[in-house]
Amino acid sequence: MLGTYGPPAALLALCTAFSIASPQFRTWTNLRNVLDSASVLAVITVGLTFVLLLGAIDLSIEGVMAASGLSVALLLANNRNDVDLGFVAIIAAVALGACFGLANGLLSTRLRIPSFMTTLGVSAIGIGVATVLFGGIQPTISSPAVAEWANGQVLGLTRLTFVAAFVVVVGVLIQRYTRIGRYARVIGGAEDLAALSGVRVARYKTLAFTLAGALYGLGGVMVTIQLGSGIVAAGAGQNFTAITAAVVGGTLLSGGRGGVIQSVVGVLIVTVLANGLVLIGVSPYVQKAVQGIIVVAAVAITTWPLRERMRVVK
Amino acid sequence: MNTMTRSRRAIALATIAVSMAALAGCSASAVGSTSGAACAPEDIKLIGQVRNETNPYEKSWLDGGQELAESLDLEQKRLTYAGESPKQLEQIRQELSTGNPECMVLNVLPNSDSDTTPIVKAVEEAGAHVVTQWNKPADVHPWDGYDSWIAHITYDGVDSGYQIAKAMFESMGGEGNVIALQGILATAAAKDRFAGLELALEEYPGITLLDQQAADFDRTKAFDITKTLLTKYGADVGGVWAANDDMALGALKALDAAGLAGEVKVVGIDAVPEAVQAIEDGAITATVSSDGPWQGGIGLAMGYCALTGELDVTAQPNKNREFFAKQFLVTEDNAADYLTPSIDLADFDCANVFNRVDKALG
Repeated sequence: MLGTYGPPAALLALCTAFSIASPQFRTWTNLRNVLDSASVLAVITVGLTFVLLLGAIDLSIEGVMAASGLSVALLLANNRNDVDLGFVAIIAAVALGACFGLANGLLSTRLRIPSFMTTLGVSAIGIGVATVLFGGIQPTISSPAVAEWANGQVLGLTRLTFVAAFVVVVGVLIQRYTRIGRYARVIGGAEDLAALSGVRVARYKTLAFTLAGALYGLGGVMVTIQLGSGIVAAGAGQNFTAITAAVVGGTLLSGGRGGVIQSVVGVLIVTVLANGLVLIGVSPYVQKAVQGIIVVAAVAITTWPLRERMRVVK
Repeated sequence: MNTMTRSRRAIALATIAVSMAALAGCSASAVGSTSGAACAPEDIKLIGQVRNETNPYEKSWLDGGQELAESLDLEQKRLTYAGESPKQLEQIRQELSTGNPECMVLNVLPNSDSDTTPIVKAVEEAGAHVVTQWNKPADVHPWDGYDSWIAHITYDGVDSGYQIAKAMFESMGGEGNVIALQGILATAAAKDRFAGLELALEEYPGITLLDQQAADFDRTKAFDITKTLLTKYGADVGGVWAANDDMALGALKALDAAGLAGEVKVVGIDAVPEAVQAIEDGAITATVSSDGPWQGGIGLAMGYCALTGELDVTAQPNKNREFFAKQFLVTEDNAADYLTPSIDLADFDCANVFNRVDKALG
């Protein structure tokens, strides 16, 4: 019960508490604000979820976001060159992210290197690529229409919120109705058994990493058009925030448990927490500590029912 | 074929001639060591070291150093250590152990305060010359037994925080409410700059600080936090004080998204090109420049002057060996001058290297 309903209950409790403490929290503007702030994190966490379901880890988010972010800034109308590919630029940047993800997958499965190492290496490559593309002059998107599109509103919510919602829905469909999603859970549950049953483990692992890479690429694109510039540090710190969000939501690092919906609940918990603590006026000097305490408490509650079965804790 | 051989021979002859000249130069300088000259100018090796070239500021450092080096017919070796302290020291040790450290000048941005001591010790041991900038433990000084640590240059964060605050308050007519975006709270830069804001607030009783949040010098965080603060205070916000330009640019985007751009004043620190452009466009009110290209050149220039005997390091007063350098407020009036940062070679003349000494540390 707690494992399934714990995180949504925690989210609800946080929202209720903040609504009571701060009248600004319970406004439509703030809802829009929270959902907008959560959109990039939601997209990358959906990607990460497929990797975590496998029981693997992905530390390449920062590098992939940097490379994709810089590419899209240089391929849209900008201050550095005369290229303006429009929507094709976005496709290209997402495809670049998918290539990084493919590299993650191939290196992990074919060379049998732990994903911890390969993805860290690929992240460094991504930052290297971004550094070369950066070339000392920040590429700034010259058309204000792009940022206006990103921050503009439809039905009272920003467009990036809808992009994120679309990704979440597609993520859920992939998880439930395709082999990538279903096998990811199987492989994460018991990789040996999956292999013995004839599941092509290496292939589906690689596909999951590729899908994740594409979504990190999309995340990089979203940050870039939101802020109007290609920033190498666009993904700084996002990797651990995404892992935190996934785990808080109930997608476990041991693999095989959780899913897209759980992770998205985690994303909302993390975002609401950051937003609410500012609104109720907690001093910035203690905010991080308070965030940490609440996250640890949430994870403890979520994993409570599993404590019998998890005899080994790594 | 024939011309090839001939040109090769010519090169060989030229090489011999040059090396003989160099030898002559060395022996001459050995003789002239009484006058303080340790190296022939063409033997001097210039090294600039920063964290990375992915931010415009640190790249402009190395570019400034390169421009100076070229004016001296030398090359600057560009080193970057990706913000990793062990790597920084390793790179310096590597350089010192290869080549001729006696004719080496290093212009270094130490990763953090605690990295400075091992760096200057390694350099002192090898007999090279070094200038450090920004980070240094408060109780270590170049005059405490160091002959080769020429100087430590840094900037007064309290002053920069104060200057931009004042510029913003003036543009608000001395009335209204502001919010502040702090840097990483555990850093001296964040602390000093915020102290500067507090000083300015005391002088302007008509200005109220509504809220202050840490956005960690990060553009994305500043964007999110500004949006949240705008939800909380709405149209009451008349100005955003940010402890660096990246956060100012993030705040600017949040104001754009909220339809408040132009109505709310924004200030930052660092004078990154994007921010200077925004000042030129009227979107940002002010920033402070430490003049990156000058920083990249000055350390090399000091070392060069010391090695050619035109600057006696140990004879310098303490105020020249550890100082806050002058920094410059960039506003609409002078933004155009800072759009394409470059160096003025006259600043690096041996007689002028201490022209920007502003005041003592502390």
